[in-house]
Amino acid sequence: MFSLALKNILFYRGRSITTFVLTFFSALMFIVYVALMDGSHGSMLKNALKVYTGAIEIYKKGYREEGGNDYLIEDVASVEKVLSKVEGISDYTSRYETYGLLSSKDRSTAAMVAGIEPQKERKLSELYSTLVSGEYLSENSGNCLYAGVDLVKKLQVKLGDEVSFVGSASDNSFAADLFKLCGTFRTGAFEFDSTAAFLSRSYFDELMYAKNKASYITIRLDDLNKVDAVNEEIIKHLDSQYESVTWKVLMKSMVQAMQVDSIFGYISIVLFFVVIFFVIMIFGFINVSSRVREFGTLRSIGLTRGKIRLLLFNEIFILSTTAILLATPIGAYIAYYFSLHPFVMEGISETYKDYGVVSDEIPLAFNLFTISWNVAVIYLLNFLSIIYPIRYINAFKPVEASHHV
Amino acid sequence: MFRLILKLAWKNAFLRLSRTLLVVIMIAVSMSMMLSIQGIYDGMTSNLIDKTKRSDCGEISLYNSHYRLNKNLDNVIKDAKGIEASLNERPDVQAVVRRLSVDGLSATARKSAFSSVVGIELDDEIAFGRFDQFLVDGKLELGKRGALIGKELAKTLKVHVGSKVIFSTQDSSGEINAMALKIRGIMQTSMVLDRSALYVDRRHLERFLGVSDTVATQIAIRTESSTLQATLQKAYPQLSVMDFLELNPMLKQMQDMMHIFNSITFFIVILVVFIGILGVMYVSVLDRIREFGIMRAVGMEYKYIRREVLLEALFVGVVGYVVGAILGLLSLLYLHHYGLNLSQFSEGLASFGLDTVLYADISPIYFINTFLAILSASLLSVLLPLRKIKHLNPIEVIKAET
Repeated sequence: MFSLALKNILFYRGRSITTFVLTFFSALMFIVYVALMDGSHGSMLKNALKVYTGAIEIYKKGYREEGGNDYLIEDVASVEKVLSKVEGISDYTSRYETYGLLSSKDRSTAAMVAGIEPQKERKLSELYSTLVSGEYLSENSGNCLYAGVDLVKKLQVKLGDEVSFVGSASDNSFAADLFKLCGTFRTGAFEFDSTAAFLSRSYFDELMYAKNKASYITIRLDDLNKVDAVNEEIIKHLDSQYESVTWKVLMKSMVQAMQVDSIFGYISIVLFFVVIFFVIMIFGFINVSSRVREFGTLRSIGLTRGKIRLLLFNEIFILSTTAILLATPIGAYIAYYFSLHPFVMEGISETYKDYGVVSDEIPLAFNLFTISWNVAVIYLLNFLSIIYPIRYINAFKPVEASHHV
Repeated sequence: MFRLILKLAWKNAFLRLSRTLLVVIMIAVSMSMMLSIQGIYDGMTSNLIDKTKRSDCGEISLYNSHYRLNKNLDNVIKDAKGIEASLNERPDVQAVVRRLSVDGLSATARKSAFSSVVGIELDDEIAFGRFDQFLVDGKLELGKRGALIGKELAKTLKVHVGSKVIFSTQDSSGEINAMALKIRGIMQTSMVLDRSALYVDRRHLERFLGVSDTVATQIAIRTESSTLQATLQKAYPQLSVMDFLELNPMLKQMQDMMHIFNSITFFIVILVVFIGILGVMYVSVLDRIREFGIMRAVGMEYKYIRREVLLEALFVGVVGYVVGAILGLLSLLYLHHYGLNLSQFSEGLASFGLDTVLYADISPIYFINTFLAILSASLLSVLLPLRKIKHLNPIEVIKAET
């Protein structure tokens, strides 16, 4: 039956070429399209996580909803002791964040001022690697301020200039001090660069009465894919007054935005598949309907309906398999190549900075599981497309089919 | 003769009913899906553009030439009141608003966020862009200490109607000053304003900042005139007179990208539809090759056969189009009135500045373009079968099979 199917494929070349070409392009397009969609989403997330947000962050319950000094982590050391025992965590550090007014001689602006542990922070965020001018912070850098370039622009200050700070300390008392601008950074995330400034915790804790206190603790993992498992492990050991949340919760709006984008992407691709499915079905149907007499003869010499079904199934199997076997490595190679060498669209980060896009690079995602299910969908569609032609041909009685014109 | 050909074409088009029906279904389903997708995508972008125009910049906005690079009170439009009055007298200006805006820090007892206080005149804003339609909670009123707040900013600050917010900023004399505001309503406008805006009474803000009532940071204009921008730039050379697209290049780019994406989708779908029709027409001609041979043998000219085959393809295409247009129109009407509810992704949509229910646009151009495309695909699909008929040797064909 298999060799008969093969002969039919070679004989009915028009139908075979059309089915092959459409299957090949559908599979190739699907693999590349999904890789591009997943790749751009992954890149957005990676960039966002790289800049400042941790893979997991630990808060005192209520801080994320209510905020303020009543919900600070009061004993950072005890939480860090727990974290040191959890496997899968590569680094962690505490941050003390507050909002206040920064003023230069002529200008004032609201800013998020945070106390960080400079050496630990180097491994957890992009703050160090995005240094533009001056120097990054050290544990003993005193009142040195490390600020975003757009914030510095707003304040109209230069390196070495003094900037005053007015805010409230962790005990709700009034806090004010003079900082010296020692360095500037540019992460590319416009909102962050225009509002964030950092000091070494050793100095800032004194000002804010924040020794051993923190707004939250941020964590980096050995493997981001294991974020849920590590988070469960942390929760198991963590005191009930704290909550441990992953980036999926911390960046909910970005995750949802990507889901919406994916939905629209899949809606568009479904449109292509519907049309392609119909065309493959039409060609299959045309082919079968022009072979009614042939099938009548086959039935007359003893072939059962099941055998006819098997014959047509084999035909579509051979055509789909060869097309997919050719399309899959090509699609996978394209995905793999562009995952290592992303597309560069100059200016995209500038245009979409309000959406948190910080890079001009758009990589493709290379994931064998994704490629497998993409291919499986195309395969399934091809098999579905032959159901109606099979039903059509099997509805004929052998004699009726033998005389069909 | 033409009537006979027409009759023949109609009958032949539906001779193999299952085959023709498959093509009609293919055209109809793909067309209705394509129209719905196009409508939703266009609806999304036009909604964003409309909200931005109505709540922010109108078709044209005027600024001090230094303001957009350096947003502080040194860079205001000095005689904004006079300019507003003269603009209001122009017949090509539909509405004008004058706004005063300043950046600062908004804080509650527990939360702080960067924000901009925008001083507005409520009645003017309603006339300008139906500002009342942006209210999602509370009342549209300002009063002395009242404020309306952007939806995303309200979420960040965890405030609701009745909450108090302290706004601190630098006034015109360089001093840090603060004012207490009571939230009267929550607004959902454009993405940037939703994240940062607190709307207060303009006169109240003028007093708070210590500026005169003649100044403004922005004058926004609603107009349909395409020449107004150039005219105003000539009249006010000291100001930046910018149109919507200059002020929102991202929205323009988004609209262009959507257009390109829709065009590519359209082209691919029509190409595949063309392959489908081509297959059916080719086989249909091959099935009847003896019939065409006999027609040629009895003296029927090629042009009549060509006309018949063309009409046959046209019938299939047009029937598919009509069914697809009806399905597409029904789908678009549904999406236009009831929308596509994506409320479970509300936060994600808000980050794009979109509402949770997306409504489709309906434009006659969708149907015209699709009609022309399907018409072309149908007519082009018979070129190959016609070639076959043209090179036909009637005697050989008749002898070939019985």
